[in-house]
Parts: sequence; structure tokens; C-alpha cells
Amino acid sequence: MKKTKLGEFEELVLMTVVVLQENAYGVEIKRELESRLNETLSVGSIQSALKRMEEKSFLTSEFGEATQKRGGKRKRIYKATPYAHKVLQDMKDVRTQLWAAMPAAAAKLNFLMN
Amino acid sequence: MNENQDHINPPSWSLRLLRLFIRKDYLEEIEGDMEEVFYDDLETYSPGKSRRRYSWQALKLLRPAIIKTISGSQKLNYLGMLQHNLLITLRGFKRHKTTFLINLIGLSTGLAASLLIFLWVNDERSVDTFHEKDNQLYWAMTHFELTNNLVTWDYTSGRLGRTMVENFPEVEDAVWIGNGFYKPKGVISYGEGNYETHGLYASSNFFELLTYSLLSGNAQKVLANKESIVISEETAVRIFGTVEAAVGKTINLETRLISKEFIVSGVFEAPPSNATLQFELVINYDNLIETDKWADEWNGGYAQTYLVLKQGTDIEAFNAKIENFMDDKVNNERFSVFVQKYSDYYLHGKYKEGTLVGGRAESVRLFTIVAILILVIASINFMNLSTAQANKKMKEIGVKKAIGANRLSLIIQFMFETLLISFLALLASSILVYLLLPEFNLITGKNIVLNIREHLPLYCWTVFITGVLAGSYPAFYLSGFNPVAVLKGKISNIKGEEFVRKGLVVVQFTLSIIFIIGVIVINQQIEFTQSKNLGYDRNNVITFRSKGLDRDQVLSFVSRLKEIPGIESSGNMAGDFLWGEDSGSGYWTPQAPENRQHLFKSPKMGYDVIETLGLNIVEGRSFDPKLNEDENRIIINQSAAKLLGLENAAGTRINYGKSNFREVIGVVEDFQYGSMHQAIEPMVIRFREWGSDCIVKLKQGAEVNTIDRIEKLYKEFHEKYAFEATYLEDDYMALYESEEKESVLSNYMAGAAIIISCLGLFGLATFTAERRTKEIGIRKILGASQTVIIRLLTGSFTKTVVISIVLALPLGYLAVSKWLENFAYAVELRWWIFVLAGLSCLVIAWLTVGFQTFKSATMNPIHCLRDE
Repeated sequence: MKKTKLGEFEELVLMTVVVLQENAYGVEIKRELESRLNETLSVGSIQSALKRMEEKSFLTSEFGEATQKRGGKRKRIYKATPYAHKVLQDMKDVRTQLWAAMPAAAAKLNFLMN
Repeated sequence: MNENQDHINPPSWSLRLLRLFIRKDYLEEIEGDMEEVFYDDLETYSPGKSRRRYSWQALKLLRPAIIKTISGSQKLNYLGMLQHNLLITLRGFKRHKTTFLINLIGLSTGLAASLLIFLWVNDERSVDTFHEKDNQLYWAMTHFELTNNLVTWDYTSGRLGRTMVENFPEVEDAVWIGNGFYKPKGVISYGEGNYETHGLYASSNFFELLTYSLLSGNAQKVLANKESIVISEETAVRIFGTVEAAVGKTINLETRLISKEFIVSGVFEAPPSNATLQFELVINYDNLIETDKWADEWNGGYAQTYLVLKQGTDIEAFNAKIENFMDDKVNNERFSVFVQKYSDYYLHGKYKEGTLVGGRAESVRLFTIVAILILVIASINFMNLSTAQANKKMKEIGVKKAIGANRLSLIIQFMFETLLISFLALLASSILVYLLLPEFNLITGKNIVLNIREHLPLYCWTVFITGVLAGSYPAFYLSGFNPVAVLKGKISNIKGEEFVRKGLVVVQFTLSIIFIIGVIVINQQIEFTQSKNLGYDRNNVITFRSKGLDRDQVLSFVSRLKEIPGIESSGNMAGDFLWGEDSGSGYWTPQAPENRQHLFKSPKMGYDVIETLGLNIVEGRSFDPKLNEDENRIIINQSAAKLLGLENAAGTRINYGKSNFREVIGVVEDFQYGSMHQAIEPMVIRFREWGSDCIVKLKQGAEVNTIDRIEKLYKEFHEKYAFEATYLEDDYMALYESEEKESVLSNYMAGAAIIISCLGLFGLATFTAERRTKEIGIRKILGASQTVIIRLLTGSFTKTVVISIVLALPLGYLAVSKWLENFAYAVELRWWIFVLAGLSCLVIAWLTVGFQTFKSATMNPIHCLRDE
């Protein structure tokens, strides 16, 4: 956890990659996240997150099939590494512990907000 | 997806932006993503908006994680690359020894020739620029108006300098020295010793304003009074042994004009070799005024005046301001004063009708062009041989490209190769230059010393430019091969490329032929000037000058001279016959009164000069001792008779000045007075019995004895002076020294150009013969004779050279006619010069290719067909 920082947006992208499985390529990730977050994202933001995470070895990738819609250019399919799964799990645990440790007032606030 | 979506594409400039900036290995994916998003967008938005969105997205893609890094996508091992290139290059040199040697010899000869010229040009341009105040130092000169022409004098009145300082705020200071004739030339006596020497009369601030460094003495004081003399280091050492011993000593200086005692007030370092003023002593200009009051009169032209102008003076405006400065001083409007930068005068010193028409700069420019052309010829060799041998490199290029070398790195590799070979050529040429420099200095009369620090930039630039010039075309050509075609052995566009190569050979030979024409014409002109019938006899005639004698002594010397057996005839005149500088005006006739202002050549001759020189009297008589001639009697030449409108000139009287007359006693046939740069002009020969320039015609056979006798007599009259007689013939040759130098230099340069061109041709012939070995073998088997083969191989070269000849003849004609304009009497341009130049080039080309051709033609076809 210390060494590799996973930004909030990166975490979201990473989780989307895991969710989408074989279909995890740039535009699909973008669509998925856009619908979930209900906001527009640029290709650049997704791509730079992907590249950064690949560099930090959260992701591996390989070329997938090419479609006509893409002007004959191949997709790049991303896959989360076991290490990424572990980091995601760790982060989730930390969060759960933190949630558990939060005082009641905060919990109420949480309740109110929901 | 709607229908027309197929026709809608993402905006191309955004796409280009992506391709430019996105890292190569990400490009395909991202471009695909972008396109997918774009077509998605098209379903919801208008094409315009989709395109805008695309562009916006493209801009947003420019993020550090995605774009290329500055150093490219991969880290390259540059050092390894260079090592590899060096290895390949050196192996190439080793493998293609002939090509390598031809390139090396050609380039180094070319470089050596042009480096020598550049050194010479550098030296020429540096002349007189060593003065600290160089950019402020201007030479005041005058245009002098004659009836029908304007002459330009580099001298002025001795008074001009200081008057200008008083009158014009632009003039900070002025220095003036005695001009031409008015220079102390004579003998310094100290103790028992007599030393011949020469120097300058100069204003007292001479050493202050001009940069001639003093080894001893104070620049402001050394010339402060009339009794001071400043001598050169060599003179000091010659007379006193050391510089220190010289200062304060009293010496006696005897010259044509003065003879008195001086005290050595300082010692200066000899002027640098690139100074036009060379002198061994300097004394105050007032000494000249003391003996000749005209030296300080407005009407006297005794001084060369140099002005130090304020920084940033507008020269044109200043010249306009001073133009009429002399008018009220001399009470006429014939003088107009102007200034020219002092250091410019050496290269730009030729005036015609009051406008600058050139000078030495013309030769400097000419030779610079020649040097550049020689480099071009050498570079062409390199280009031709590299492209001709392209097929030897094709495999290498194909393989390199197939593994991923891009064009740029191949270009770099080839340029590297060229620069390496030019560097090797530089080493070779440096050695050549070093070895040739003494000889070169002898030819050019220069004193150039190699100075690595000073000349290094010149060297580097020459090499770099040559390398780039020679290497660029092969580099682009070779790197452009299509790897697939090359590896399959298909060579494309070889035809067009051969055309270029032939074109380049045509350029080389055109230049060479022009050089040959130039050389022939220059040599012809020199020979012409040396053998032309000048109208006088200079065979076996010696001249010398008697020095320091008064009128009666000269007369008795001359009469004693005539008694010496072995002398055919002798005479004396005032002024050097070959310089032809003596001139005067004021002669006119009522028939042609407009000639009153005409400046006639007017030498002053004594008895027997006309006879000694074998001048032809066509009318009347010569000066005759029995008739007691005086200065009222003159002899004119035919041109003068024509100008003055005289039919039977002998015996007539012509007007001289306002109310004087001169009696024409004879007319002499026109002869060349002075060098042939001057046309034969109307001449009035005046009479003067005691001129100190002796002209002696020796009897054939006993010249040495006779000269000994003359020397003995000379010693009797001139204790202090050495007898220095020269043959008129040699002196005449010396007049053409600069042409002679140019001719020798151009001979060598043309030689270099031809050698280099032929080397290239030789290389090409070798290559062609090699490439066509099989063809020749098959032809021979089918029955072709050796003649047919030889004709086949020489044919294309002959065509190339013939095209060059056709191009070169008119160009050469133009070039040499321009050069000949410098001469009043130029050799005729005959057709055979051009034929000779063309033919010799053709023959040289044949000889060059002949060896290879003959070898191929006589080869046994078995040998060439066997190996595969």
C-alpha cells in the first residue's frame, strides 16, 4: 500500500476493468464508468489512468480484435493482475475497518446523507 | 448509424496532432478508441459537433503518460551506433580500395589547392588592416580634371592634412608622408660604414596614429624635431649591433634631396609583411619642406595624406562636404578631394574617370571562385563514385532498413562516412599544404606562415562544407532505396540517376575546359607582352642610376662613360624609362587649342638616349651634341603630332603655356613607354642633359668585362653607393610580375582541376568496365573485335566530354574576354585556342579511360564469364 499509490480515479478504472472482464478496453471502460458515475469522461483521462496503472503493473494488456467501427484498429484488452486484486482487496478492508471505527455521529451523518 | 456516416471522418488535423504526439506503441489503440467514440457521437450529435468533440478529446489526450518523451520512445545506444558506423565505413574503405584512393586523392588535392588559395585570399584581405585605428583611418585623394578626362591621384598637397583637421570637426587627426618620389633613399654613414637604406618623410604623429610598434622611444616624441631619425630594428642591428646601442647615436644621412646629420631617437619593428608601406627609416616631413618648398604648397602633390575620422562618420556626406575644399586654395576647380578607407585601397585602388572600377580585388575574387570550383569538382568525384557504386551498398541498406533503420539514420551514416573521408583528406591536404607552402610563397611573393590557431576555423569550415556538399546527394540517394526491391535485386530508377551522374561529369569537364582556355590565354598574353615589338630595342641594354651627384658631376660621369670600350652607345635621362610616369601639360597649337590641358607623357632625355634605345626618327632629327640643345627644343611622337594637328612637324614651333614656345626638332615613331597596361599616348620628349638614369647598350660578346669597367667608373664617382645595374629586358619582365604570378598560379590551379576531373573519370571508367564485364565477354564470344569494344566503352564518355566542350567554349570566351579588358594591348583571341582546349580535354579524357577500356577489351572472355 505504501509504495504503490492508487488514485481514486485509478481505483475506479481498475475496478471497472475487473468488472468488464474480456470486454475491458478503452471505450467500453469509458462507457461503463460514464453510466455509473453519471458524468462524461474524456478518452484522455481513461487512457492516461490505464497507462499509469500498466506502468505500475496493476494491469496487463494485449491486443484484441479490430472492428469496422474503429477503422480497422485493434482494441487493447486490459486485465487486472493478481497484485491489483490484492491491492483492491486491501483498500476495501481498510475502508471497512475505517467505517467500523467511525463514531456514531459520523454514522448518523452517513445515514442522513443517504 | 445514419447513412452518410461513412463519408464523415474525424477532423484530419486533430488526427495528425495525435499521430505527432502520441507514443507510437499506444497510437493504434488510442486512435481506434477515438474513432469509436467519434462514431458513437455521430449517433447522438451532428457531424459538426462530433468533430468538435473529437478535436477537444484529442487535445485532452495530450497528457504526460501518453505522449512521446523528448528523447523518443526508446533509449538508443548512440556510441555503439557510431562505433558500428565507423567499423562499416573503414571496412568499406578497405574493400573498395580504388574508390577510396580516388576519393582521397581527389579530395585532398582539391582541398590543398583551395586551402592554399584561401590562405592567399585571407592574406590579401588582411593587408593594411593591422592598424589599431583601421576603421577610422581614411586616405585622402584627389580627382584631377583634365580637358577630356579625369585622373585620380593617391597624393595631395602636404598641407591638406593639417588644414582639414582645422576645418572639419569629423577629422580627428591627420598623418602625412612623402609620396612616391619624395621618399628618402640613400646612404646612412656611421663611422667607417656606409649603409644603403630607404624610408619615409612623415608628419611627427606618424607612430602615434599608425600601428608600427616602437621597440625603443616614445611614439609622441620620436619625430618631434627635424634632427630625429627613427630606424628599423634590422637597420639598427646592421649598423650598431643592437637596438639599445642605436638610440642617441648621431648618423649622417645622404639622399638625393638632403644630406645632414640625424640623431637616432627610436627604433621600430619592421612593418609586417602585409603592410603596403615598407620602410627602414622615418624622418620628419619638415626636412622635405626645407629642401623643397613645394612640399608644403597647395599646388604640390608631394604627400599621401591619411585622416583619422571620428567614429561613425558618414563617409558619403563627408565626401560631399570636402569635394570642393581645394578650390579656393588653388584658385581653380580642377581638384576634388575625397576619402577612401585606408585598408580598402590595396584591394580597391583602380579608378577610371573618377569612379572606382576595381583593383586587386578582382584577382582575389577570381581566385576565390576558382578555389570553390575546384572544391566542387572534387566533390562531384565523390558524389559520382558513391552513387555509381550504389549497388555495392544496396544489400547493406536493404538489410539495415529491413531490421528497422529509418532513412534519417542512414543519411546520418552516409554523411558520417563522407565527413570521415573529408577529414582524412584534410590530413593529407594539410601535409600537402605544409610541403607546398614555401614554393607557393615564392610564386605569390607572399610570406604566409601556417598558424593552426588562426586558420583552424577556415580548415574546419572548408572540410565541413566539402563533406556536406559531397555527401548530401549520395546520402539522400542511397538511403531512399526501397528495401524490398533492393533485397530482391531489383534496382529502380538507375536511368535517371545515371543521367545526373553524367550531368555532373559535364559540369566538371566544362569547368576544366574553361580553366584550360584561361591558362592558354593568360600565357599567350604574357608571351605577347614580352615579345611584342615595343618600338625600342631592349636587347643587351642595361640601366642604372647615378646617385647623389650634382649637375656637373653627372655630365663628367656620362662623358667618361662614353669612353669605355665595349659600350655600343649610352645616354642618360631623368626618370625611369619603364615606369613612364613623367608627364606634363601646356603644349598646344592654334590648330588644336583644346589640347592645352592635355597631359602629355613627357620624359626628359639627354643626348644619345634615342639612339641607344633604337627609337625610330621618322621626321627631323634627334638631339645632337654639336648643336648645343636646350630645353626649348622638343621631340614628339607620332601620336602627339596627330593630336596637335601637325602635318610636317619637324621644324615647327608649338605654343607652350601662355606665351612660350617650343621648337619641334623631330618626330619619333610611337613606342611603348611604361608597361603595356598603359596605351601608347601622345608624348613630348623634353631635353635634359644631366638626368641621372643611365641607359647603356653593350656590345655583343664582352658584356661581363664591360660591366666590370662601368662598375669601376661608377665607384670612382659614387664612393658610398653600390653599383646596381639591371638589364632592361629583366626590368620589363618585372613590370608584369603580378600577371606572371597570376599565370603561374592559374597554371597550377588548372592542373589541379584537370587532375581531379580525370581521377573522377578514371573511377567512373573503372566502374563501367567492371559492370559491363559480362556484356563485353558475351560480345567477344559473339565475334566483336577489340575496336568495337573500345568504341563501345569510350563512346559515352566521348559524348559527355563533347557536350562539355560545347558548353565550355562560349563560357570560356566570355571569361577570358573580360580578363583581357585589363590590358591596353591584348592578344587576339584566336579560334585555335578554343580548339586546342577542347581537343586536349578530349585527349586527356580518352587517355584516362583508355587504360581501363583497353584492359577490358583485351581480356579473355573466359575469365569474365566464368565467375558468378
